[in-house]
Amino acid sequence: MTTQPKCTDPVILNLWHPLAAVSETSVGTVMDTVLLEERVSYAVGSDGTVAAWRSRADLPAGSRVDAGSIAEQLPSKSAYGYVWTTLGDAPAELFPIPEFEEPDRRRLNAATMGVNVSAPRAIENFLDMGHFPYVHTDILGAEPHTEVKEYDVEISAERDEILATRCRFYQPMASTASTEGADVDYIYRVPHPYCSVLYKSSPVDDKRLDVIAIFLQPMDQEHVRAHMMLCVLDEDNEDKIIKRFQQTIFGQDKPILENQFPKRLPLDPRAETPIRADKSAIAYRRWLSQKGVTYGVIPAAA
Amino acid sequence: MLDTAKTRWHPIAASHDLPFRHVFHAQLLGREFAVWRADDGYVNVWENRCLHRGVRLSIGINDGRELKCQYHGWRYANRTAGCTYIPAHPADAPARTITNRTFPAIERYGLVWAAEEPLGGVPEVEGLAEGSLLALRGIPVNAPADLAVERLRGYRFQPSDALDGNAAEISIEAASAFSLALHARSGGAETLAVFFVQPVDSGRAVIRGVLDTAEDHPARLAILRRHNEALSKLREAIEREAAAMPAPTPLTPEFQRVSPELAEMPALSADARKAPLRVQAARKWQAAEGIAGFELRPISGLLPTFQPGAHIDVHMPNGLIRQYSIVNGPGETDSYSIGVKFEPDSRGGSAAMHESVREGDVLAISEPRNNFPLRRDAVKTLFIAGGIGITPLIAMAQALQNQALAFELHYFAQSQAQLAFPDRLETLGPALVPHRGLSPAETAAKLRELLAGYRNAMHVYLCGPGPMLEAARAIAAEAGWPEGAVHFEYFKNTNEIDDSTSFEVALARSCLTLQVPAGRTILEVVREAGVEMPSSCEQGACGTCMATVIEGEPDHQDVYLNDAEKRAGTKIMTCVSRSKSPRLVLDI
Amino acid sequence: MITLYDYELSGNCYKIRLLLGMLGLDYKTVPVDFYPGREHKSDWFLRLNPLGQLPVIEDDGFVLRDAQAILVYLASNYDQAGTWYPRDNPRLLGEISQWLAFADGITGTASAARLHDALFYDLDAEAARAGAHRLFRILDEHLWFGEQEGRSWICSASHPTIADIACFPYVILSEEGGISRQDYPAIRRWCDRVKRIPGFLVMSGVFPAGRHGRHKASHERWTTHLHTPGWQK
Repeated sequence: MTTQPKCTDPVILNLWHPLAAVSETSVGTVMDTVLLEERVSYAVGSDGTVAAWRSRADLPAGSRVDAGSIAEQLPSKSAYGYVWTTLGDAPAELFPIPEFEEPDRRRLNAATMGVNVSAPRAIENFLDMGHFPYVHTDILGAEPHTEVKEYDVEISAERDEILATRCRFYQPMASTASTEGADVDYIYRVPHPYCSVLYKSSPVDDKRLDVIAIFLQPMDQEHVRAHMMLCVLDEDNEDKIIKRFQQTIFGQDKPILENQFPKRLPLDPRAETPIRADKSAIAYRRWLSQKGVTYGVIPAAA
Repeated sequence: MLDTAKTRWHPIAASHDLPFRHVFHAQLLGREFAVWRADDGYVNVWENRCLHRGVRLSIGINDGRELKCQYHGWRYANRTAGCTYIPAHPADAPARTITNRTFPAIERYGLVWAAEEPLGGVPEVEGLAEGSLLALRGIPVNAPADLAVERLRGYRFQPSDALDGNAAEISIEAASAFSLALHARSGGAETLAVFFVQPVDSGRAVIRGVLDTAEDHPARLAILRRHNEALSKLREAIEREAAAMPAPTPLTPEFQRVSPELAEMPALSADARKAPLRVQAARKWQAAEGIAGFELRPISGLLPTFQPGAHIDVHMPNGLIRQYSIVNGPGETDSYSIGVKFEPDSRGGSAAMHESVREGDVLAISEPRNNFPLRRDAVKTLFIAGGIGITPLIAMAQALQNQALAFELHYFAQSQAQLAFPDRLETLGPALVPHRGLSPAETAAKLRELLAGYRNAMHVYLCGPGPMLEAARAIAAEAGWPEGAVHFEYFKNTNEIDDSTSFEVALARSCLTLQVPAGRTILEVVREAGVEMPSSCEQGACGTCMATVIEGEPDHQDVYLNDAEKRAGTKIMTCVSRSKSPRLVLDI
Repeated sequence: MITLYDYELSGNCYKIRLLLGMLGLDYKTVPVDFYPGREHKSDWFLRLNPLGQLPVIEDDGFVLRDAQAILVYLASNYDQAGTWYPRDNPRLLGEISQWLAFADGITGTASAARLHDALFYDLDAEAARAGAHRLFRILDEHLWFGEQEGRSWICSASHPTIADIACFPYVILSEEGGISRQDYPAIRRWCDRVKRIPGFLVMSGVFPAGRHGRHKASHERWTTHLHTPGWQK
């Protein structure tokens, strides 16, 4: 059986895409979602195996199923706590996050949330520091400490990913030990057009970094499910405290994302006005252009 | 019908939709607008997207003078929609060409009118006299505008003075593609109702009705309610009809592209020494003893956006060119105000302004240039002004005041009568601290007191006579202020310029090597070779003609760069400074 | 001290935080992992509220559920000035109850659409949106005529009441359910007025309004009872 995919962008079609957190999927039960405008079902077996397939009438959502025995499956894998699949021809490996394997880390899905915006707009917001004092007031930033200091961005040809380093931003109450604010260090990676990984100074271990990632599942060009993965050093807090914090942050970004216009990311350099603080966003837009991505963006006129 | 609609004026809001400090969300022919009234009454109709990242400005904050985007705090000025501040880069002045798209607006018949590409004016309606009108509640309808206009033909209503009947005689007085005038007559009472239908999108409209009934009619509320009820019923019928038809494709507005310079970073430098603007001295007054105030209004159009700390070149009737700081607060964008001190021993610039320029005279001025940008990320800002040095600092203080950021303005002057712009000073409240009649020794002691207690992220801005600035800079350095936290502007360079050296200057980007002989400046030689260079004061005070040094050792003679910058040797003021090495390579 | 069983992204919990903030009351929060943890359906929570719904408060041993009921209780018990729920004014109390019920209607429509779009609740989102638009048309008309009569708030008093608090959250969050407020200018103006009530605080998804006058108001700042985990410091 051949199915013509709705998404005609081969770059996006041939990627791995996240569907759901394994921890939130009842074992042996058919679950439904939408990926690239198509209904997709998935299931998790009691041994942790995952399966995904184009939804069909004989396996409705909620029915019991043995994940291993489903015919005509899509490629699938379990990685970083999520079920991943592809509607095209994805490479064998997903991008690496080596820290995920470190045994003393807390790994959890902060939430999966629907946002009425394109995936690239959400990535660009994830890379942005300048909005901290305005959108995450008194948490990730506070006026008048609004400056985005010079940082470095490179597109790693070898790993085919964007890397922004030496990023610093003033955070109020930056350490548990004092009430003073201080600069916090960040490193951003964009290893996948719709996924980004952030590393941030850990307050409990000055040699290691907390990892926060956003994996965007494109339901269509202007709607995503955002999966927020945390992989942090924290022995004290309950899961729900950690999740609540990240949901608060994301909930603050959401109305900004949903008020961006147009919803798809314009790749024409003259569509919007970049400033030096937007170096990583400029690199991201160029990278998407070079890859020839057309899904979720407004390509620059040739 | 919609294809010609772009050239017409349409109502987009009622006047009462724009109360104090609100941003109205409007839409016309698919294009969204952020509509806001500034405290000075001006109605701004802007494209509803921040130029930075496309966020709707209708969710932004109207602070009475500027509109602030919620995403990154970019501020856009009343009238011009020019960006005045980018908080992510607090030490830079934004490229002044970052200007949001604006649309013309007119208030008429109790409505706010706008147009995309207007030909002609707002429709003239016979029988609707300004001042005795009653604007009805706007009724949004999920239906195409033409259907709404068509169905309005069947609208029945009673004259305002005979509300209780139901048999008024209705006649159509006038009709056009987007409006309909109906006349109701019952006994001796008659009322004209004009309905303008705003095409919001291909399948959405707003019915905006206006009656020729006095706004203070005793039955005003009953009239408004009666029409609201009848129009709501009509809406139901129209929407039922529209729902049965195929939904039209929504209109997609085209967004203008930003200029190519703005698409790349960094922004280009300022223009050469030109005076492209023509302004009229609309008002001249005594701003203080010995200081004349001038309010300069544009001859036509809008003045360019300015930022606090900016100055303009004024080209005087006698051919001299002088720099004056703009003293306006944020959002005061309909004119520039400057203060000119009378200097009896000057070369004639101040005398020309004081004696020759009269109210009504036209002057040529440059676009505003900001070489004294104000950071707004300080935990506290100190302003220290001496005499006429108050002018840039008063603009800065008003900007911080408007944003409720912490600052103090210390103003040293000979006497109370010499405190300039008292009306503006008054708005600053206790943040203004005047110091009157102090001797140089007393001034130094006071500066020592003010500059004690430096904390991280404090900034001080100094402007005044040379000796006072020298003293203040020395005291600040002693008190532990890092050079990067001490910002200053001299209004003239009193150093004696030594132009006796000769050297070679290579322009790296222009691929030119030039000889600078004794008695000539780098700026003159470079210009003569056909390379455009901006400049303003041409005495090493304002910073406009700055160039980057790639190689060689500059011989600094300016008062613009601070000591660390001079030691670094990477910047040079080409109007006065020269070279210690035989060859200087500049990034020009 | 009052304890609020709270979920940050819940508009119903926000109602309680708003009133507590405007009354200037100290309180403590117990976070409930509503999503994705469904902790409001857990045994311990069902013992507090068998309906399995947020918010719930506990005040010195007294447990109360239902956002509107909690607003009535808090205003009756703690509002010294007696303006939020004026117990000596029967007509006003009647009006308030009428609009509290209306607020439930907004929750049933606008909040439902938001739960569908953001948290993937399986329900008829188009019907929820259509229902919200019907209610918003009524509210906009009510507020527009209120302005014409010189009234700023939902009820006929010269000051805000708990009816304003009860209606505000799911109106201001409606765009997260795909319900634009562009056609409701009087609602948009009323939202600005609510944001300028002293003690107002934002939640995720709600932006502050600018200052109305020249004074710096404390309420434009984000004030949070959020417990920040150590790894975010």
